[in-house]
Amino acid sequence: MKPLSAELAGQPMPPFALAALTNRARETVKLLFGSPLNAMLTLIFGAGLFAVVPPMTRWLVLDAVLFDPDPNACRAASGACWSFIHAKSGQLLLGIYPFDERWRPALVCVLIIALLGWSVRPASWKPRLLALWVVALMLVGWLMGGGFGLASVPTSSWGGLPVTLILTVVAIGVAFPAGILLALGRRSTTMPAMRIVTVAFIEGIRGLPLLSILYVASIMLPLFLPDYLLPDKFVRALIALTLFASAYLAEVIRGGLQAVPTGQNEAAQALGLSFWQTQRLVVLPQAIQVAIPALANTIIVMIKNTSLVLVVGLFDLISSGKATLADPAWPSPAAETFLFVGAIFFALSFSFARFSDFLERRARVRY
Amino acid sequence: MLNDAKARAIAIQGVLVLALVGLTALLFTTTITNLEARGIPIGFDFLAAPSRLVISESVLPYVPRDPYYWAIVVGIANTILISTLVIVFSSIIGLILGIARLSSNPLASGTCKVWVEVARNTPPIVLLIFLYSLWWKVLPPIGQAANLAPGVYVSMRGLVMPAVNISMQSIGWALLGLAGLLIGARLLRAFVARTLSLSVLALMSAAALGLWVANASIQVEWPVFTGFGFRGGIALTPEFSTILIGLTIYTSGFVAEIVRGGVLAIGKGQWDAGRSLGLSQTRILQLIIIPQTLRIVVPPLNSQYINVVKNSTLAIAVGYPDFLAVMNTTISKSSHAIEGLFIILGVYLALNLTLSAVANWYNRRIAIQER
Repeated sequence: MKPLSAELAGQPMPPFALAALTNRARETVKLLFGSPLNAMLTLIFGAGLFAVVPPMTRWLVLDAVLFDPDPNACRAASGACWSFIHAKSGQLLLGIYPFDERWRPALVCVLIIALLGWSVRPASWKPRLLALWVVALMLVGWLMGGGFGLASVPTSSWGGLPVTLILTVVAIGVAFPAGILLALGRRSTTMPAMRIVTVAFIEGIRGLPLLSILYVASIMLPLFLPDYLLPDKFVRALIALTLFASAYLAEVIRGGLQAVPTGQNEAAQALGLSFWQTQRLVVLPQAIQVAIPALANTIIVMIKNTSLVLVVGLFDLISSGKATLADPAWPSPAAETFLFVGAIFFALSFSFARFSDFLERRARVRY
Repeated sequence: MLNDAKARAIAIQGVLVLALVGLTALLFTTTITNLEARGIPIGFDFLAAPSRLVISESVLPYVPRDPYYWAIVVGIANTILISTLVIVFSSIIGLILGIARLSSNPLASGTCKVWVEVARNTPPIVLLIFLYSLWWKVLPPIGQAANLAPGVYVSMRGLVMPAVNISMQSIGWALLGLAGLLIGARLLRAFVARTLSLSVLALMSAAALGLWVANASIQVEWPVFTGFGFRGGIALTPEFSTILIGLTIYTSGFVAEIVRGGVLAIGKGQWDAGRSLGLSQTRILQLIIIPQTLRIVVPPLNSQYINVVKNSTLAIAVGYPDFLAVMNTTISKSSHAIEGLFIILGVYLALNLTLSAVANWYNRRIAIQER
């Protein structure tokens, strides 16, 4: 902010807070109307916001039914029907999981979100964290699938938020190391067969839309694989997502690897480090540091991509939203339901974007 | 032996190749036995058979009697149509958003920031399903279609707008005129002083424009409500409009960020240097800023455009018959899964490679000419 302007200087000083306030107001007016272009922009955007914001607020909040559990309240109101989301939150978030066992997927959601929250702290980045995740995922598998004292629930009854979270975490968690291996394979100079295979895999996957890969995995794979090797439908979609993510991550990591000067490699070799030691201790830390923004973008795309599994009949958040809407007792508030689903995805990917901003800033401070 | 790098490399690659060959053999034999068990022949003969597929809308003429290959071509045309429109509209909107986000006006930059963040962080399929659900809820029935602009009506049955019919002849004349103008401009630039050439160019283009308008048979066809629906004009179905609007919103967020990054990457010093050379504002933009921005912006834009082609497959969420949707029904109806897979692979590869080739050609054109 600029200091007090010149014409104020000669006059008796108003109380400090008031001065700051008028000053700030003047600054704002200057920003909004300072030049003809700015004035025009203000008018255009102001008119647009005026046309959109008041009716939206009326629909979203003022005229909306917030908590009234009676479906007829929604029929009578002209605004949004949030009480539907409220009343149906169990089915929306947990899908068609058996009603009496709903505590299990709920616990899984809490577990994964808590562990994600724990993992973003730099203080917890130790080898122990990886072990923690492996144990947690085994626990998740047990809680969702049952066995060992819990009632068994087939994957076809899994649904909602836990499915989205499991697909996201496992697909990205497995695709990241796989992407590193693919990138290293593609850059290999001593193994031409390795290079050809990885290039063919990466470019083949990247040339196809994810939907077509999901189709192959869920519809055509039963034709290609013998029955004893054929995984469950959920696992097939998970594998398809993982393969897809690994090809994209491989290209981003390859970009990072290219940014590391060859001297680093040579220096590590001169110190007598083996190939894997060189990669793990010298090259990859630098390559990933460089690639953070691009990696974050790719990972956000992958978080959003998990929503595509609905097309091959898996019960993720969108499908359970659609199923919930089928209840004839309610007036089928589709827009509200999909806003809710969209908000969950937004929260996931937006918080990851902020996390990557934090990583970038942290990397900058260190050098 | 284990410490010899060369031997180890050969061993690893041998294992890799063996594993791949084994996997392929397994897949191949299983597929053959599965197909034989179900009595499905392999081959592309089925493409000539009548498809009896229902394709709800298409740019190319189509009836269910048509053979499979034509159904597939119709699907490809639909994919190309929607991708092209989304690319054009999202580029324009993204350019505006990206520049407005850099504005000092907090109202403009704030609004654009919210738009960009929401567009980038929502899965496109959720956006499409949300918009599609709005379509039935918010919009009036066709009898009370809302009149957005002269000749533009929107209702539950879709969007109707005036059609501009330009005869082929006048398009030909316009293209010829444009080519003549460009050649003339080149010649003038080479032989005559710049200011003179500019004024001659302006005169010539005015004359050409006048000729074209006088000669052209441009007809605007206004939609007319007849009691059952609209006649005349271009009618877009709710499905088509949803995908067009949804994917345009989604992609414009990414284009905006690319544009913003490109503009920010050009240092202030470039403007100062241009001014100190005595160049005018527009000349600085034209000669210094825009060429450098383009160089930064084109490669990421290209990958974004390829993403648009891939994202157009989401059309299936609202029931628009794009190429993948047509292939999906083709495969389930004819049971020719393997052939279908190869067609899918080939078509997307061809589409994406074409886009990349165009972008690379353009990229080379605008790259720094090093001598």
